[in-house]
Amino acid sequence: MASIHMQKLVKKYGDLTVIPGIDLQIADHEFVVLVGPSGCGKSTLLRVLAGLETIDGGDLFIGDRKVNTVPPSQRDIAMVFQDYALYPHMTVRQNMAFALEMRGMAGDEIATRVQQAAKLLDIDPYLDRRPKALSGGQRQRVAMGRAIVRDPQVFLFDEPLSNLDAKLRAQVRTEIKALSQTLRTTMVFVTHDQIEAMTMADRIVVMKSGVIQQVGTPEEVYETPANQFVASFIGSPSMNFMPVTVEGERLALSDGHTLPGTADLARRVPEKGSATLGVRPEHLAVVPKDEASLMANVELVEPLGSDTLIHFTVAGTKAIARVEPDRRPRPGDVVPLAPVPGKAHLFETASGAIIH
Amino acid sequence: MSSLANRPSDRLIAVLDVVLLVAAGIAVLAPVAWMVLSSFKQSYEVTAYPPTIFFQPTLDNYRSLSQTTPFLQFGINSLIVTIGSTALGMLLGAPAAFVVSWTRITWPAIVTLVARMAPGTLFLLPWYVMFRQFDMIGTYSALILTHAVITMPIVIWVLLPFFDNIPRSVFEAAQVDGCNPVRIFWRIALPLVVSGLAVSAILAFVFSWNYFLFALVLSNSDTKTLIAASFNFIGEGSTNWGGLMAAATLIALPPLALSFVVQRWLISGLTLGAVKG
Repeated sequence: MASIHMQKLVKKYGDLTVIPGIDLQIADHEFVVLVGPSGCGKSTLLRVLAGLETIDGGDLFIGDRKVNTVPPSQRDIAMVFQDYALYPHMTVRQNMAFALEMRGMAGDEIATRVQQAAKLLDIDPYLDRRPKALSGGQRQRVAMGRAIVRDPQVFLFDEPLSNLDAKLRAQVRTEIKALSQTLRTTMVFVTHDQIEAMTMADRIVVMKSGVIQQVGTPEEVYETPANQFVASFIGSPSMNFMPVTVEGERLALSDGHTLPGTADLARRVPEKGSATLGVRPEHLAVVPKDEASLMANVELVEPLGSDTLIHFTVAGTKAIARVEPDRRPRPGDVVPLAPVPGKAHLFETASGAIIH
Repeated sequence: MSSLANRPSDRLIAVLDVVLLVAAGIAVLAPVAWMVLSSFKQSYEVTAYPPTIFFQPTLDNYRSLSQTTPFLQFGINSLIVTIGSTALGMLLGAPAAFVVSWTRITWPAIVTLVARMAPGTLFLLPWYVMFRQFDMIGTYSALILTHAVITMPIVIWVLLPFFDNIPRSVFEAAQVDGCNPVRIFWRIALPLVVSGLAVSAILAFVFSWNYFLFALVLSNSDTKTLIAASFNFIGEGSTNWGGLMAAATLIALPPLALSFVVQRWLISGLTLGAVKG
C-alpha cells in the first residue's frame, strides 16, 4: 500500500498542454475518484500514474519512490481498463495468473492467489473459460480479479463501468466500493459519471481542462462547491443558475423580480452588484403562495417514482425543481417555490468562483 | 405484391453476377487447364493448330522429367530455398510488423514495400558482385537471403493489420502486468495473430517458390530451383513444350495445394484490413 504524490505534474502532446501542472496528494488506503467531462485530462492523468504516458514536467511519487521514469511494469500498480483489456487467447485463470508468472512466482502460490481472488469476485465457475465466453459483467470481474491477485500498492480504474448496462453498473459500483473496504488498497478511479464519484469516493477530484477545480469529500463538493463548474457538474439534475443583481436589500432576477428572504445573500454580492445565484433542484421547496420567491410556470413534469422533477423557466433561464412524488402538477400549472434557507449559493459572474 | 428479390432489375443483376463470375473463372482457369492438359500430350500435339481437344493421354513427359533431369534434386533445392526464405522473412517480418504497429512509425514498412515493388534486376548486379566477393554464388544461403527480400515485405504487410486490430489496451495491460516489449510480442501479440502468421507464411512461400530471377543468376547446377531449371526445356532452336508443361504442372502443385487447404484462413486474412474499418 502506498500514498501518491504529484508535484507540478505536466503532460503535453507536442505543443498541446493537456495537464499544465497538477499538485495532488492521495493518502495511503484512500479511494480517490477523478471526475470531469470528456477531455478534461482525467484519463491522461491516470495513464501518467500508470506509466503508460511520459511526464513532461514536475514529479510523481508512489510511496517514497519517485517514479517519473519508472516503466509501468516496475511501479507495482494494477489497472482495470475501460474495455477490460483481457488477453483473448488465455482462459480466465491464465489471465489472472499472467502478471504473477511474469514476476516469477511459484506455481502453487499463483494457484492459491487466483483461487482466492476468483472466490472473492464470484468468478470461480468461469476460471477455464475464455473471455469471449463471458458476459460484460463477468469480464469486468475478471479484469478486477487480474488486478487483485497482484496485491499491488495502487489500483487504477479507467472508467471500468462505462460499458455495462445501468443495472449492472449500479451492482458493480457497490461491489467495487465493498472491495475497496475489504482490500484497503489505495485506489484511483476515473469516471465522467458524477453519481459513481459521489457514491464511491473517499475524496473527489473534479477536473476541467487539465486543471483541478476542487478536491474534497463527496459532501464537500456537493455542499460547498468551489466554483460554478463544480456546482454544475456535481449533482443530478444539475444546479440551477440565475443571474441576479442587488435591489435594496434583496436579490433581483434579470426580469426585475426581487426574491424575498435573500438579504444574507445580497450582502455578499460584490460592489459591482451582479452575481449568479445557484440553487439545486432539491433545494427548491414548494411553499405557500405568500412565502414564495418564485412562481414556477410548469412546462414539463418528469415523475421518477421517488420524486418528481418540474421543469420551468425563470427570468429567461431554464430551471428544474425536485418535489415530492405525490405532487404531480401539470404543464401550465403555477407552482410557488422558495430556496431552502442556507442552501443557495452565489458565484462571481466573470470567474464563476463561489462568493462566501 | 412481388418480393424485392423477384424484381426484374434484381434478377438481371443476379444473372450478370453469375456471368461475370464464370467469365472470371474461365480467364483464370483456362491457362491452368491448358497447362495441365498439355502436360499429358505429345510435344507435337501441344503446338498443333487447331488445338486438339480429344487426344490420347500420355505420361511420357513426366517420365522424361525424372529420366533426363535431376527433377527431384531441383525440387529439394526449391524447398530448401523457399522454406529458408519464408522462415527468414517471418523471423524478420513479424517483429518488424509488430514494431511498426506499436510505434506507428510506418516508414520502415514503406521502404520494404518499395524494395518489393522495385524490379528484381535492380538488385541483381550489386548482389551478384557482392555474393561473388564472399564466394557465395551458387549457395543456398545466397538464394535464401535474396528471396527474403520477396518474403519479408509480404509478411510485414499481411501482419500489420492483424497487429493493428489488437486493442492497444491489451498491450498496455501487459505492460502493467510486467511485460517488456519483447515479452508482449512473444506472449501476447504473436498468439493473437496466428491466422495472420499462417496467411503470411503461405503467401511468402508461394511468392518465393515462384520467384525466378534471383535463382536464375545466383544458383548453380547443384542449387538450381525448379522454376529456374524449367527454363532448360526452352532451347535456342526448339522447345520441349510437353516437358515444360509437365514441369510447370508439378511446380504449380505445392502452392495450389497449400492455397486450397488454407483457403478460408487466406480469405479472412486478406480481408482483415478492410473489415477493420
